[in-house]
Amino acid sequence: MNTLAAILATLRRATGSITGAVGFTIFVLVILAALFAPVIATHDPDALDVMNRFAPPSAAHWLGTDHLGRDLFSRLIHGATIAMSVALSAIALALAAGTVLGILAAYLSDRGERVILILFDVIAAFPSLVLALAIVAVFGPSTGVVVAIVALTMTPHFGRVARAQVLTLKNAPFLEAERILGASGARIVFVHLLPNIMGPLVVLASMDIPVVITIEAGLSFLGLGVRPPLASWGTLIQDGYQFLSDSWIPVVVSSLALALATLGFTLFGEALRDAVDPRIGRER
Amino acid sequence: MTDPAAPPLVSFEDVSVVFGGRVHALDHVDLTIARGEVLGLVGESGSGKTTLCRTLIGLTPLTTGWIRIGGAPLIETMAADPLGFRRRVQMLLQDAVASLSPRLTIGRTLEEPIAIHGLPREAARRRLDGLLARLGLPRDIVTKFPHQISGGQARRVGVARALMVEPDLIVADEPTAGLDVSVQGELLNLLMDLRRDLGLTYLLVSHNLNVIRRVTDRTAVMYLGQIVETAPTRDLFDRPAHPYAAALVSTNPAIDPKRRRRPIVLGGEIPSVVDLPSGCRFHTRCPVAQPRCAVDVPAEREVGPGRRVRCHFPFSLAPTAAADALLVAADAATAAAATP
Amino acid sequence: MAEPLVAIRNLKLEAGTARGRAAILRGIDLEIGRGRILGLVGESGSGKSSLAACLIGLTPANTSAISGEIRFDGQNLVGLDPTAFARLRGRRIAMIFQDPMTALNPLFTIGTHLVDVLRHRDPGLSRAAALSEATAMLVKVGIADPEARIAAYPHQLSGGMRQRVMIAMALLMRPDLLLADEPTTALDATVEAQIVELLAALRREVSGSIVFISHHLGLVAQLCDDVAVMYGGTVVETGPVDAVLTDPRHPYTRALIACEIDEDDAPGGRLLSIPGEVPDPVRPMTGCIFAPRCAHAVETCRSEVPELRTSGDGRRAACLRFEELP
Repeated sequence: MNTLAAILATLRRATGSITGAVGFTIFVLVILAALFAPVIATHDPDALDVMNRFAPPSAAHWLGTDHLGRDLFSRLIHGATIAMSVALSAIALALAAGTVLGILAAYLSDRGERVILILFDVIAAFPSLVLALAIVAVFGPSTGVVVAIVALTMTPHFGRVARAQVLTLKNAPFLEAERILGASGARIVFVHLLPNIMGPLVVLASMDIPVVITIEAGLSFLGLGVRPPLASWGTLIQDGYQFLSDSWIPVVVSSLALALATLGFTLFGEALRDAVDPRIGRER
Repeated sequence: MTDPAAPPLVSFEDVSVVFGGRVHALDHVDLTIARGEVLGLVGESGSGKTTLCRTLIGLTPLTTGWIRIGGAPLIETMAADPLGFRRRVQMLLQDAVASLSPRLTIGRTLEEPIAIHGLPREAARRRLDGLLARLGLPRDIVTKFPHQISGGQARRVGVARALMVEPDLIVADEPTAGLDVSVQGELLNLLMDLRRDLGLTYLLVSHNLNVIRRVTDRTAVMYLGQIVETAPTRDLFDRPAHPYAAALVSTNPAIDPKRRRRPIVLGGEIPSVVDLPSGCRFHTRCPVAQPRCAVDVPAEREVGPGRRVRCHFPFSLAPTAAADALLVAADAATAAAATP
Repeated sequence: MAEPLVAIRNLKLEAGTARGRAAILRGIDLEIGRGRILGLVGESGSGKSSLAACLIGLTPANTSAISGEIRFDGQNLVGLDPTAFARLRGRRIAMIFQDPMTALNPLFTIGTHLVDVLRHRDPGLSRAAALSEATAMLVKVGIADPEARIAAYPHQLSGGMRQRVMIAMALLMRPDLLLADEPTTALDATVEAQIVELLAALRREVSGSIVFISHHLGLVAQLCDDVAVMYGGTVVETGPVDAVLTDPRHPYTRALIACEIDEDDAPGGRLLSIPGEVPDPVRPMTGCIFAPRCAHAVETCRSEVPELRTSGDGRRAACLRFEELP
């Protein structure tokens, strides 16, 4: 109960500024769109209406139609579902793997720690686009591959922060007190350590959502990610780009949606970070 | 209070702890703690007090030597029944507020011993209620978080947590550090009442010599990883035998000017534990050091009933002999330094 | 008596907190005599460090109001503009802290710190002249091998040595007023004795006054000439140190001294403490600040705020009833 109150208090602080409030509003709108896409969408996103290609915005089609006469608004709304599910599942995977590896690195012997840190360095040093190409070459493009690629490249990010957090707390008196009481290592880590290191990691995760959304859009734009006819924002921009000479509306509208979502998430993430720990922001 | 013939509850037998092959944190420590006794431990920071406490609660392994608790080697007890060992030896950490999990309520923290040791819930809860009342903690403290309670309360919560497992021995590291003098007495009274009622034994570390003088039965003085003097507390303060102990107890100014004695001010800096002095470790600062002290390492020896000292030239135990001899020597040293 | 160096009149300090406006200092009246050492004692939260902060013009950022008067050699420090205060700080008022590491820049050598202080005092001084004066001062504060130490960085020195460097920095300013905020609390007993002896020896050479803040009554008794006992943002008793501490008039001073462990006390006897809680700075003061915890309080103590009144030779106490007390 108290945790809930603490979360609400943090949210209140984060939305106290104009940018925080704007970011939070966009965040909520995108989440709602992603969750209730079938309800919100005015049309079936995949329904073709070839007679009605490149229709301008109208009462029937709020944002017009694309080169196959599909309703652009509905496709954008469904795109939010894909963007959010890719972003959240990739980040959840990276957060889990990074936290486990980070805690291990902090508690392992010197040698074990070095192995994990070198692993982080190798992943981080590898150009993610080349990595993506290699993985797609082996497994072929799909939504699952996008999630895997993004999770892999984000893991070191979370791992390093988790390790640093554990190192500052490892010898904290309250953990020492647990040891003196005879608590097992697992109890110390899961009951006492984890809740105290999650705050910064969750903030980091929220700040990574827009990054992942753009990566997914980028990969899909290049044809390495989500496959057509699924309506990812990246494939929407790609479609619009191909038929730019016929109509400028699809590419501009889908690019704007992507930009607005990324901006909103970034603003909200930054406000959240400042609300949780103002020092992190100032040190940058 | 304690029977000298009974076997001690705790004995350190030639215990050494060396970190990284060169930091001699504990060096050939011999020490006993009788059942029901309060043993005080004093010394400067870096003298090994904290390491000694940590070896006794099994958090720092020994490099050589043995610690026995109730006759059995600590290392074997720990291996055979780790939780059973924890139920015998508990510790009060110095930073009481930081020793409470910041995201758990006091109630959750106090239930930790129940969960860890699988104590029968009903009996344990009754015990917890009884302890809260006994320690003068309000009932609603269990719903609070560590940052919402006072320093004195945090200390008593730490005591309650330790007592949940009904230990025999409590290691108290600076239990009054950071407490205002107006509440320090309350806590010390409580610790001593608990000793009487529950038959507890304490190892009490403090830099506050008034506290040591008041509540301990015997005191061990540490310097650079060694115990340089062990004596009944009264005797130590009245007639210290080791020059360092004499200097230490003299640095405690009384409020009343009529009772104030001149402190013996030592020269020089405390040497580093990495680069220890030859011979007697104290000879670089000792006002009465002789040439031999720089060469020969003094052994610990018995100088009186229950008194052991590690010095080639301990002071005679006649009253004030130590202070007078040291003051004369210190003055001579100051005079020598003043003339260019 | 000659005019005091510092005369504080009705000094009030308020700070904004999450729970509202907190009264940190509730009307301080105090004098610091020329060339005297004043001990400032009291428990945590009594306002002794805040009083020092007002004297050196470094009040915390959440300060919402400061009123009253601090006459420093005739000049009122309350409301003094920051640049004028900054000029006073480097030259006439100096301060040493409990933890010297926070006041020393880890990237600069001891020599750089000392030369900076000297150049602030006397901008025309050459570096060579400054270094030789700094070296001489290190000898004076008891640092052996000063030529080597002057090239050292703060982390290479022990705690006691760093505190000596802080004292050297303060003395190089030749301040009229030196504020020492718990300067020995973080040090070991034998090192504390060294520093206290140093301060006692230096006072013969320093013409200025010293304010020594400590919770250690024995040290204050040993080192200081005068003492002011603070409680809940007020001064409850002040006067010559031996008189106040051996024959306290205010019930709080008495209780505080009674809590100290005395060497004559029999081991095993009960230790005394002051029951109750320290006053909440957010609550307004409607009577004697100590009344809720005072064993001698009567009805008027809760409704009437006592003034500091003369209670003997050079002594004052803020208690309505000190004449009647046993």
